[in-house]
Amino acid sequence: MKAAVLREANIPMEIEEVQISKPGPREVLVRPIAAGVCHSDLHFMDGSYPYMLPTILGHESAGVVEQVGSDVTYVKKGDHVITCLSAFCGHCNKCLTGHLSLCNSPEVSRKAEEAPRIAQGSDTIHQFLNLSSFAELMLIHEHALVKVREDMPMDRAALIGCSTTTGVGAVFHTAKVEPGSTVAVIGCGGVGLAAINGAALAGAARIIAVDMVDSKLELAKSVGATDIVNASSGNAVGEVIEMTQGGCDYTFEAIGLKATAEQSFQMLCPGGVATIIGMIPPGTMVELQGVDFLSEKKIQGSNMGSNRFRVDMPRFVDFYLDGKLHLDQMISKHIKLNEINEALTALKSGQEARHIIMFD
Amino acid sequence: MTLERVESEITGNVWKIEVKPGDKVEAEDVIMILESMKMEIPVEAPCAGTIKEILVSEEDAVDEDQVLATIES
Ligand SMILES: NC(=O)c1ccc[n+]([C@@H]2O[C@H](COP(=O)([O-])OP(=O)(O)OC[C@H]3O[C@@H](n4cnc5c(N)ncnc54)[C@H](O)[C@@H]3O)[C@@H](O)[C@H]2O)c1
Ligand SMILES: [Zn+2]
Ligand SMILES: [Zn+2]
Repeated sequence: MKAAVLREANIPMEIEEVQISKPGPREVLVRPIAAGVCHSDLHFMDGSYPYMLPTILGHESAGVVEQVGSDVTYVKKGDHVITCLSAFCGHCNKCLTGHLSLCNSPEVSRKAEEAPRIAQGSDTIHQFLNLSSFAELMLIHEHALVKVREDMPMDRAALIGCSTTTGVGAVFHTAKVEPGSTVAVIGCGGVGLAAINGAALAGAARIIAVDMVDSKLELAKSVGATDIVNASSGNAVGEVIEMTQGGCDYTFEAIGLKATAEQSFQMLCPGGVATIIGMIPPGTMVELQGVDFLSEKKIQGSNMGSNRFRVDMPRFVDFYLDGKLHLDQMISKHIKLNEINEALTALKSGQEARHIIMFD
Repeated sequence: MTLERVESEITGNVWKIEVKPGDKVEAEDVIMILESMKMEIPVEAPCAGTIKEILVSEEDAVDEDQVLATIES
């Protein structure tokens, strides 16, 4: 099969011929139909996050089941599925206490001594986040996918695989936004826009979108933002505090920078909660004013929207088909696999929302 | 001769150890692979030298800044 292989950070990926293994007892072979290009792929492409190389990036996809392993009963050939990197084992302490997205069990990957899922001749190609969706086929654990309705368009379904689940989930599950509250979202890419849409669904009274690109702020309004702040003025914190007369109940950082993580805490009102979604590079420290804890301000992380994706994703599909989740405007362009490098360059500029790879 | 410490940047589990004491390594050679929140993260040699000690085993949990191995350079 063909795949976009990353051999070195910051060196454009080439489309190469690689081999995919046969499904083990609990594995499923999926033919992706659509795959989104997320900023997390970019963090690994540009080396700000380390990863074993060579690898095949991509982790936001939807497709059709091609073949199932001998013990798989949940799906069959032909089923439509969305994949998710939050593969869960189902029996560790995290899983059993309802925190499936924090499952860290190694059993959803192959063991170090087993043949790798993806290879090129005798060389291992490291699977990215147990998925690797910038490829014509994906071999994944059965707990890394969910079955969905067949009337759901595949390109929109792919978005649910990461950005929607991350943004809406951060609002619903991690922060548990209360109806009537005030929310600010810093960064209006695929994830931030999903958080804005989620806040609107949760009944937030005021939703302030913060970005440096005007077209992103316009998109934010179309998915539920009530107010916008262009951060290029350099005073986003002051503007948000003034607009809300003292700060927000909930803020979300959806970029992955130290500065904006600190701003998300500074924008809170007493008792408010900042949720950091962006991937801040390892080794980076985030600094807060200690005195702010006296007013019960809180800060927390969110991984993949604290999801229970087998339950959440079919609900998000229904939300889209009922017109509540605005996924159409999230897609700025449909591309082919061989345009992946250009898509990542465009993402870096912040000018565009999601690019979706469509497979033939 | 100096002893260099190889530290973990993150909290995670040791998935695979690629070297053993006595092995010669170059700077940036992969010493071991950690798994953390689904990511396969390489731990690279900070310098060229000889592996003196490996202080963890496969499947061990490791913390940020924990010393995983030492290299004599
Ligand atoms: N925690 C998780 O589970 C998880 C899951 C998915 C993505 N992420 C992370 O979320 C972040 C956002 O991902 P995305 O795909 O939406 O990214 P994106 O590139 O599509 O969007 C980022 C947005 O931030 C804006 N921006 C950049 N710098 C800014 C600044 N200083 N002030 C205000 N706005 C600024 C850009 O204009 C852009 O609109 C990334 O760090 C990504 O890795 C985390
Ligand atoms: Zn993502
Ligand atoms: Zn588990």
